[in-house]
Amino acid sequence: MNKLLLLTRSHLRKNKGTSIGLLFLMLIASMLIGVSLLLMLDAVPLAKKEAARLDAGDGIIRITGGKEAIDDDFIVDCLGDDVERYFISKGLQYSDCSIPFNDGTVLLDAVVVNSSAYDREMARAEIISEDTSVTSDYVILPYIFHSTGNVEIGDDFSIELKGTKENLKVRGFSSTPYFAGTNLGAMELILDDDTYAKLYEKDSETNSCTMIPYELKEGVKQSRFSLKVDSKIIVKAPDSQVSLVTMSNTVTGRTFMSMIIAVSNISTTAVILVVILLMLVSSISNYVRENMKTIGALKAVGYTSKDLNRSLVIQFITISTIGSIIGAGCSYLLMPLIAKFAVAQVGIPYHVSFNVICTVIPVVSVILYTFILAVLSLRKTRKIEPIVALREGVADHNFKRNHFALDKSRSGLNVNLGLKTMMANKKQNAITFFVVGGIMFLCIMSLLMFWNFNLKPKYEIMAFETCGAAITAEPEYKDEVRKFLSDNGGSNVRELDTFHLTYNDEERFYVYITEDASKLNNQNGLYKGKFPKYDNEVALSGKFAREYDFEIGDEIKLDLGDKSYTYVITGFLQSANNLGREGIVTLSGAKHVFDMDKYPSTFYVDTDGREASDELIKKCSDEFGDHLLSKANFYESMEGSLSTFKNLATMMLIIIAAISAIVIILVLFLLIKVLIYNKRKDYGIYKAIGYTSRDLILQTALSFMPSIVISSIVFSFVSYFVANPYMNIVMMAFGICKADFDIPVPGVAIIAVCVNVLSFAFALFEARKIKKIEAYNMLIAE
Amino acid sequence: MTNIIKTNKLCKTFSNGGSQQHVLQNIDLEIREGDFTIIMGASGAGKSTLLYALSGMDKPTLGNIDFAGKEITKMNSDELALFRRENCGFVFQQTYLVDSMSVLDNVLAAGYLISNDRKATVAKAKEILKSVDIDESLWGKFPTQISGGEAQRVGIARALVNSPKLVFADEPTGALNSKTGKAVLDALTKFNNKGQSIVMVTHDITSARRGNRILYVRDGEIAGELELGKYVSGNKERHQMLRDFLGEMGW
Repeated sequence: MNKLLLLTRSHLRKNKGTSIGLLFLMLIASMLIGVSLLLMLDAVPLAKKEAARLDAGDGIIRITGGKEAIDDDFIVDCLGDDVERYFISKGLQYSDCSIPFNDGTVLLDAVVVNSSAYDREMARAEIISEDTSVTSDYVILPYIFHSTGNVEIGDDFSIELKGTKENLKVRGFSSTPYFAGTNLGAMELILDDDTYAKLYEKDSETNSCTMIPYELKEGVKQSRFSLKVDSKIIVKAPDSQVSLVTMSNTVTGRTFMSMIIAVSNISTTAVILVVILLMLVSSISNYVRENMKTIGALKAVGYTSKDLNRSLVIQFITISTIGSIIGAGCSYLLMPLIAKFAVAQVGIPYHVSFNVICTVIPVVSVILYTFILAVLSLRKTRKIEPIVALREGVADHNFKRNHFALDKSRSGLNVNLGLKTMMANKKQNAITFFVVGGIMFLCIMSLLMFWNFNLKPKYEIMAFETCGAAITAEPEYKDEVRKFLSDNGGSNVRELDTFHLTYNDEERFYVYITEDASKLNNQNGLYKGKFPKYDNEVALSGKFAREYDFEIGDEIKLDLGDKSYTYVITGFLQSANNLGREGIVTLSGAKHVFDMDKYPSTFYVDTDGREASDELIKKCSDEFGDHLLSKANFYESMEGSLSTFKNLATMMLIIIAAISAIVIILVLFLLIKVLIYNKRKDYGIYKAIGYTSRDLILQTALSFMPSIVISSIVFSFVSYFVANPYMNIVMMAFGICKADFDIPVPGVAIIAVCVNVLSFAFALFEARKIKKIEAYNMLIAE
Repeated sequence: MTNIIKTNKLCKTFSNGGSQQHVLQNIDLEIREGDFTIIMGASGAGKSTLLYALSGMDKPTLGNIDFAGKEITKMNSDELALFRRENCGFVFQQTYLVDSMSVLDNVLAAGYLISNDRKATVAKAKEILKSVDIDESLWGKFPTQISGGEAQRVGIARALVNSPKLVFADEPTGALNSKTGKAVLDALTKFNNKGQSIVMVTHDITSARRGNRILYVRDGEIAGELELGKYVSGNKERHQMLRDFLGEMGW
């Protein structure tokens, strides 16, 4: 063993630069694996753990309206024998409320409760932080307002609840299992008892709400239970609205963004691992070439191939062990930064803590990966005979063609000699080609995220339909409101309502009802087939269709209570909302199962921007007052909803750009080091016949540029065309089937230029080592 | 005759740990235009060190070298490279051709350094290759595909393509057999007869006969000098004079 350690120490001493370069690459890989694991195993389960801690049960039923018909006895009857336990609590609900969030608002149901929320026997709320000196007119907000909503304790918080503006102060933040995220449909606002009592007195007739968290008995199917409860309540109180949210759906909704980041991290890690593979194989092969004489001498004095291979394997294992341990440690340093954006959306305070699995797996996987690669790459040393090695007789060059013959070339001498060097180093250039290609892909993907979530937000990803404002009017006023919107600056006024239907007695279905689908701005919501045009047609979400094996042209029977109708499927929708349980029918189609005339209508209207929307909403409110059930400035809502994504996309762009730059620098460092070593004799000859160091540095840097330039061009095109299909795969789990993200061509060009400039600049910098090569030293070395 | 090189108190000292080795000591020397100067001496006498110091390839520890009117000891490495490309040609014992380049490219890689007229340079390179008996069929071959003698003659062509003021040859026949060595010497002699100045280090008397001026180096100093007429094949008297000189020098 001593002799092996002796050899290993000698290898490491001789290959300091290469060892350090590889160590950094392994460090980055281990760090990224660590961060991905921390996200998936530590951060993502956070919502589930918190739900268990707050005793959230399996779901929650929220009923508004129908106050007289629905009493506690009826609820007990509804739940029947299916539940193990439940808890009934009361509050107020304001549907489609514009809740201030970040620089805009989020359009959600506001569930208003008082301090009794802390005493609920199930799904209780808990204070995370508060200022007890604030004793009146206060609100305690879900923690997400602090983690991503830019709200601090002591801030003013104004919210319009049923036409009355409430000016409150933020006393603190709470953790609550269900209504605590911007994509969970509702927010729970805990008010001081006096303010709550005042609101209750004013609005309880119309806005009272009953919430029933429940835990199902073993064996009871969630979907069947939801439908049973839903239909019972609708039959008993047709004017009530029922919302059933399951714990698992809530957890999925809260961890949506963390999962996106975890997937991005895994992609980046995969590229880094490929880079390590290429670099490791190249380094080992170069090591054998550089040390041919030493290998021969060691074999001659009695070392076996096994001894030599083991010492080299120990060398690379040592490097990978050090790199991966430091990398795993660094993942804990990077995680708080990632968590600031990725975990913030979960709406639960998160502190990175030591996790054995997330620490051991990156270390073990990087070491194992290195071990396998080293063993496979070192097989060829076994075939080297001592005498051949001593004579350096193992040919590593096989020139068959004189590429870029000088007598026929028209380009500059340095360019030409650079191209010759390139052709003599095809392997290194192939490595550069694929490394730059991977980097281009990662950068273009992060550009896509940055562009579509930050600079030019792709609203249709977040909403089924885009518009300037959305206004819901009482049934009696729908025609007047429509006319008013058209006459007062709004354009393309179209009715788009929503309702719940059911399928097969077990699936709740969120159905959009359109008067004319061709008027919708977001035609991209349909990725296959066509929108429904006639009363017997429906388009379903692709996710749902896949689960139930539906094809276009098939029929589907949808129910509402005791009414049902069989529709023909005309197309598939893509949607990240409602967990893919969505469909769209025409107004006339909806009338087969319920009387639309009795229900409020929502009008979507286009405007000239955020201010124009505000102005139109104000005019409309002045005209119709309480007859408008909700009104939302779409731009404002999207601003609020997208704020977290914006920060995330920016952070991802910065991190990916930094990692890309580091990887390019490390790879060029290793390759140029090898190139200079291999060509040191040629450089000596060149210097002897009159080439300056500057000429040779330029030639060396130029020799890498064709592969970098070609790769950046090829992979710009490839990434441009592959990005959306790739995003389709990544986002399929979230219901997006045909991503149509914009990829700005100038942005791609800027990335390509940056990659080329950085590579050339670093290649010139690294090639400065040629200055140390003296022609005379080369001559006396022989 | 005009001097191409004039040295003044040229010294070269190598330090190895605490000890110092004075390889060249106070050498005052002129190299004249048109001469075929031979530097001889025993192994370790400092002849190659002198050659590379004179050519600017290695820096002397002390002293001055005036090369074609320029003080080269003050030049930095890149200035020396620029100077060498115009004024010096080199023929090494190991040929030192670039393996990844064809025969013609090896010559052109030097030729293009000072000429912007590519056509003329290619024509000149081909002409010189022909004049050193490198057949056209070999121009596209790589150094590893031709014989040692042929490779050395390509080295001579590379050294001459820029019509340097002086060609430095360091034991050019040292690694060759007598037949191929003769061809190399013939090539050098031919160019010297056309006016090309050459300084050649050798420890081979057959090679030394080609020179018209013999410098004998011993312990880092010029121990003796012999002036001979230009080389004529079969001149026994000239050969004897060289033998006598070397005998005097203790060869």
